[in-house]
Amino acid sequence: MTYQFDWTPIWEARGLIAEGLLVTVAVSAVSLAFSVVIGFIVGGAASAGSRTMRGLALLFTETMRNIPLLIHMYIWYMAFAFLRLPAFSCAVLGLSLYSGAYVAEVVRTGIGAVGRGQIQAALASGLTRLQAMRLIIYPQALRIIAPSLASLFSQLIKDSSLASVIAVAELTYQAGAIDGQTFRTFEVYITISLIYLVLVTAASQLVLLIPGSRSEAAAGRFADA
Amino acid sequence: MPDVILKNLPFLLQGLWLTLTLSVWSIALGTALGLVVGTVRFVRLPVLNAAALVYVEFIRGTPLLVVLFITYFALPALFGYHTTAYRAAVLGFVLFIGAYLAEDFRSGLRAVRPTLIQAGLATGLTRWQVLRFIILPQAIRRVLPSLFNQYVRLIKFTSVASVIGVTELTGAGLLVNAREFQPVTILASIAVVYLVVCMLLSLAGRALYARFAVRT
Amino acid sequence: MLKRLSTPLAAAAVAIAAILAAAPAAHAQAPDTLAQIKQRGKLIAGVKFDTPPFGFLDEKNEPAGFDLDIVRGIAKHIGVPVEFVKVTSPTRIPLLVSGNVDLSAASMTHTIERDKTIDFSITYYTGAQALIVPKTSAIKGLKDLGGKQVSVQQGTTLEKNLAKAAPDAKVVAFKDYNSAWLALVQGRVDALTGSVNILQGFQKDNPNFVILPERFSVEPFGIGVRQGDSNLRDAINFALMDMWKSGEYAELYRKWFHADPEVPVEVWP
Repeated sequence: MTYQFDWTPIWEARGLIAEGLLVTVAVSAVSLAFSVVIGFIVGGAASAGSRTMRGLALLFTETMRNIPLLIHMYIWYMAFAFLRLPAFSCAVLGLSLYSGAYVAEVVRTGIGAVGRGQIQAALASGLTRLQAMRLIIYPQALRIIAPSLASLFSQLIKDSSLASVIAVAELTYQAGAIDGQTFRTFEVYITISLIYLVLVTAASQLVLLIPGSRSEAAAGRFADA
Repeated sequence: MPDVILKNLPFLLQGLWLTLTLSVWSIALGTALGLVVGTVRFVRLPVLNAAALVYVEFIRGTPLLVVLFITYFALPALFGYHTTAYRAAVLGFVLFIGAYLAEDFRSGLRAVRPTLIQAGLATGLTRWQVLRFIILPQAIRRVLPSLFNQYVRLIKFTSVASVIGVTELTGAGLLVNAREFQPVTILASIAVVYLVVCMLLSLAGRALYARFAVRT
Repeated sequence: MLKRLSTPLAAAAVAIAAILAAAPAAHAQAPDTLAQIKQRGKLIAGVKFDTPPFGFLDEKNEPAGFDLDIVRGIAKHIGVPVEFVKVTSPTRIPLLVSGNVDLSAASMTHTIERDKTIDFSITYYTGAQALIVPKTSAIKGLKDLGGKQVSVQQGTTLEKNLAKAAPDAKVVAFKDYNSAWLALVQGRVDALTGSVNILQGFQKDNPNFVILPERFSVEPFGIGVRQGDSNLRDAINFALMDMWKSGEYAELYRKWFHADPEVPVEVWP
């Protein structure tokens, strides 16, 4: 079988690639925000005093983590079709719940890593438990978990490629469209692999901008979530 | 059991079987690949180390779906060979998990205490014997939890094979849904199956870890 | 950040260089898939699993359809059994080009654009493009599509035809026919466009939807083979002609479309 390389159609399709890139970043960024929020809520619950809270948190994380991400997205897109959610929202919901469960685990260990004395001191100085969490524990936990957040963002960017299956016009979807028009299969997919590579590397560097996180042990660039 | 599941049970069970065989092949071959690549990176063999680095960095920065598109569409076109969706999926998964396991093995190898290595060398063992009998066993036991993490992750990832047309559990469910239009029942059932399989594997991993854990 | 970028970028560059070096040099040799098929003892055909009545899964989850029956006839003519591989509109040409299937019988319209990449058999079905909408819809024709959302399958001629026929409509493309159909059922789009017999396949079990009478664009379907694959193309063409002469073609047509074929298969003396 002969294969003639021809990169010009890829260059001509750069508009579509740019659009896809924008959507990928949008999906990943919004999902990152939601994941962190969900992660902090559930992670906080998982470290709570009450057995019920811990149980509920465990139920949430185990269920969300052990269902494949693709099924998450399909559930919002097809099973909950009566909600008429746009594909973008379905992708974000699926990604946020799935990744949120992973963040919750990291937050739980992060909170555990903050010295016990901290919470005693906070409560002793008259703060309520909620205030103690918000003002003392969470900020420290955030710094401790920051490197993991970097790999989380990288992972989200890669996972966002599944959104193409429910017709979100992100990078992988556009690659499919370009392949369908130009039939330059190899060139298309190698190109977007490179783009993902750059994106993922950039993302993992961004989170280290959180003050104080550079001094923490740097985790690997990519998550094992 | 809901009607629609009962009616299509043989087809769905076939899908589950494909999920399991896909997983087993990918885990077995991927672990072998990861062990070899991780060791190569640890020992820093001259040319192979660079190749290993390229491989690991490339795969870990690429989404799984794109890797599958490359193994199913791009590579056969480029090299002129014929493949089936199943084989392309196995190749994709093996390459994918191999890269992540390689990094796990490498950190496990690096975590072995240097004093142990020196002691081994002092008693007259060659470098390769030290690697085989002292470093590797320790490293493998140390990374056992991470390995099982990756294995569970792989089982979830097999669902992505449905996108390139492998009729595993997710693919089978979607095809049935195309005719029966019962997404809630079908997706819920599929989700439960994945939940059960993944949790069983996690528990097995934890049991194994408890037995073989490295006591430091 | 640049420093950390350099490792993966270098990695990627080396990977690409290695692949380019390893790939066989371009040489002008026409493929002879027919010989391969006979040697292998099996025909591998790419067909749809989600496009009734051309290629779909029946009640027993077995692949069935007009395209499949036509391919079975061709395989009989060559004298080998046939194995069906699932394709979708976006993948039916890449899988053919990559060698994963010997031919693509996947409700594929023969276009000049596609002829640049692959070759086609003679026309084995002539369809027309139409619209399907919910019975209660206010849309009665192409002119009502302004500002409305229409779903279509990615990688088809239908996308471009619709854009030409109804430039004010918003086209939403999906990876496969089924997702496009589901989008209509779930109310995410206002209409679905496709070849009329395909729409009939969806409408059969769903009387709440109606196919609008307007027809636009003509779709001659061809079976795809690789560029320059003359022997296989001849075999397919001769098989199709035999099936027409023996009446088998008309039987299949009636079986799947409940009508007599309007456009005959061209027969060469």
